[in-house]
Amino acid sequence: MQTTDNNAALRNFSALVDFSNLVNSSLDLNFALGNILLTCFGKFHTTKGLIALFNDNNILEVASCKGITTPVINSFPKISKDDFENNEALDRFVKENNFPVCREIKSSEGLKGVLILGSRLTKKLYDKEDIDFLSTILNVGATAIENSLIVEKLKKVNRSLDSKVNQLSSLFDLGKEFSGILQTETICKLLVYSLIGQMLVSKYAVVTCTNNSFNILENRFDEKLLTAALQNCSANIFVKNLTREDLKTDFKQFYDLGIDLVIPMQIKDETKGLILLGKRKNELVYSKSDIEYVSSVGSLAIISIENARLFKETLEKQRLEKDLETARNIQKNLLPKKIVQPSNLEIAAYNASAKMVGGDYYDIVKLDDEKVLIAVADVSGKGVPAALLMANLQAFLKSICKQKLPLVEATNLMNDLVAENTTLGSFITFFWGIFDNAKKEFTYVNAGHNPPLHVYNNSINKLKKGGMILGVLPTTIPYVSDTVLLNSGDCIVLFTDGITEAMNAKGEEFTDECLESLVINSYNCSSEELLSKIKQSVEEFTIGAEQSDDITCLVLKVK
Amino acid sequence: MADFNVSLRGVGPVSVIDVKGYLDAHTAPELENVFNKLLDEKQYRVVVNFNDLKYISSAGLGVFMAYVETMRENKGDIKFSNMTESVYNIFDLLGFPILYEFYKEENEALLKFNEQGKS
Repeated sequence: MQTTDNNAALRNFSALVDFSNLVNSSLDLNFALGNILLTCFGKFHTTKGLIALFNDNNILEVASCKGITTPVINSFPKISKDDFENNEALDRFVKENNFPVCREIKSSEGLKGVLILGSRLTKKLYDKEDIDFLSTILNVGATAIENSLIVEKLKKVNRSLDSKVNQLSSLFDLGKEFSGILQTETICKLLVYSLIGQMLVSKYAVVTCTNNSFNILENRFDEKLLTAALQNCSANIFVKNLTREDLKTDFKQFYDLGIDLVIPMQIKDETKGLILLGKRKNELVYSKSDIEYVSSVGSLAIISIENARLFKETLEKQRLEKDLETARNIQKNLLPKKIVQPSNLEIAAYNASAKMVGGDYYDIVKLDDEKVLIAVADVSGKGVPAALLMANLQAFLKSICKQKLPLVEATNLMNDLVAENTTLGSFITFFWGIFDNAKKEFTYVNAGHNPPLHVYNNSINKLKKGGMILGVLPTTIPYVSDTVLLNSGDCIVLFTDGITEAMNAKGEEFTDECLESLVINSYNCSSEELLSKIKQSVEEFTIGAEQSDDITCLVLKVK
Repeated sequence: MADFNVSLRGVGPVSVIDVKGYLDAHTAPELENVFNKLLDEKQYRVVVNFNDLKYISSAGLGVFMAYVETMRENKGDIKFSNMTESVYNIFDLLGFPILYEFYKEENEALLKFNEQGKS
């Protein structure tokens, strides 16, 4: 009898050693669980058993089972670790399915789960010795389970670390690449490739927003529906990441398109673009880390897209500036390069454009040995349109001069030509006169221009006679001319409103009065000196303010 | 600068793309060109041989995502073969094995296409 007991104990002991060696030989959880079950099956001659373990959320869950049908497994109750002590659901499950054994599995770390076994084929009940043996198995098994669980957890952590490392290296890769590209299309392509590669999506769109309107750069959704959906939104409502749930409630049109994620691309808190992603091919939802990745890639991309846009704009601006520079040179050539100086008249002239090109014009043309024509004009508007009209005026003037017409007829013709060749709203204030060197006479017509100042005997006579400004209507009422007799020392100052309306930093104008008093006080000097005094005076007045209009001034001094 | 090389060869009705070196954001457009060429020629059965590929970035993976649907819609596919473990790990990490077929040897991938062709 003694020997039989000893033999049985020895058998149990060697079975335990075997089991212990085996179950600890691998760190695979399923292997350990399978072995615990099989060892129990062999020892107790049962064919049914399951092991349930607490998962990451501390819910009891069947981890391994043998010989038990799926419906039974499915009916296994969901028990949380906190309610385990007082829970009756497990007892009910055990009773309903006639499982005679239900033992807790405890490791040094605490409760891990339960082992449930079916009845023995020999119909024998589990006696005390069996239960003791089972306890030993479970003690050894629990440590193995604990170890395997830790390894599994480590594997998971490792994988998520790998995935982070991968995302980071991808970001690094893109950052490097983006910085070197200045084509929006290429940037977009790369952005899209790395998004679909990393997120496993095949439906996506990238849009940029400028001035609150959207521009679709890449799109794999329904184009019409997406355009319509975007039209109903303004860029500034996209300030945070929107997941499927947010879209469902607040952006139904996007939700209906199958968009799962909307990530705004921002620069300095301003939404400059959107990344729209569809469902992932692996059916996973976008995790926090995924959203962070998309958002980071988006930030990198939008800076590059913005840079590309600015680069393009700068190029365009440079090209325009070059064109304007050319126009300015052409225009400069339209003004007289060398001023004719009749024997009885001293002429000084000055012209400065406020912009690259301007609308002021003056000319001095020698008509014959004794006669010199002097003209000054101000074309309405500024910049390129004014410069073009000014060029036209110069051409008319040059050709009319060749015809040797009397000044009044020439002015009538000039007005007709300008009126025919300008569009509505453009006009020219124009003054011209012919200086007769022998007679010291000045015959002029003033077509709406600021009256030149004839200064003599310390008084001023304004040369006003003439008629309408050029270009408004064809000539119906002929212009009239006037002739003034000049004496040695007389001065005539011709100017455009750029002088009298020059503004200082306070927004005040230089005024006619100021010019007149300046001229009357200093007309005794040479024409060059008077001109530089006027220039200097205007410059001093406007210190700190930007020149807003073209400035032209001519000073004629009778010898 | 890391090198990348891509070449194309036909094995019966299947096109095999050999990729070499580093496939990243910088070199992805080269691979894209090859796929565009295949689409132009209506070649939808593709095996990509990764034997000499050292590294792949997510932009590189993206190229495969961008073309696989078109290939499948035209009764073709993109299958992968001869991947080194480190390259496979990247594919695996991003969940590609659910969506693509991976083969140890190019031949196995070609055979698979041939079987599909017959049925």
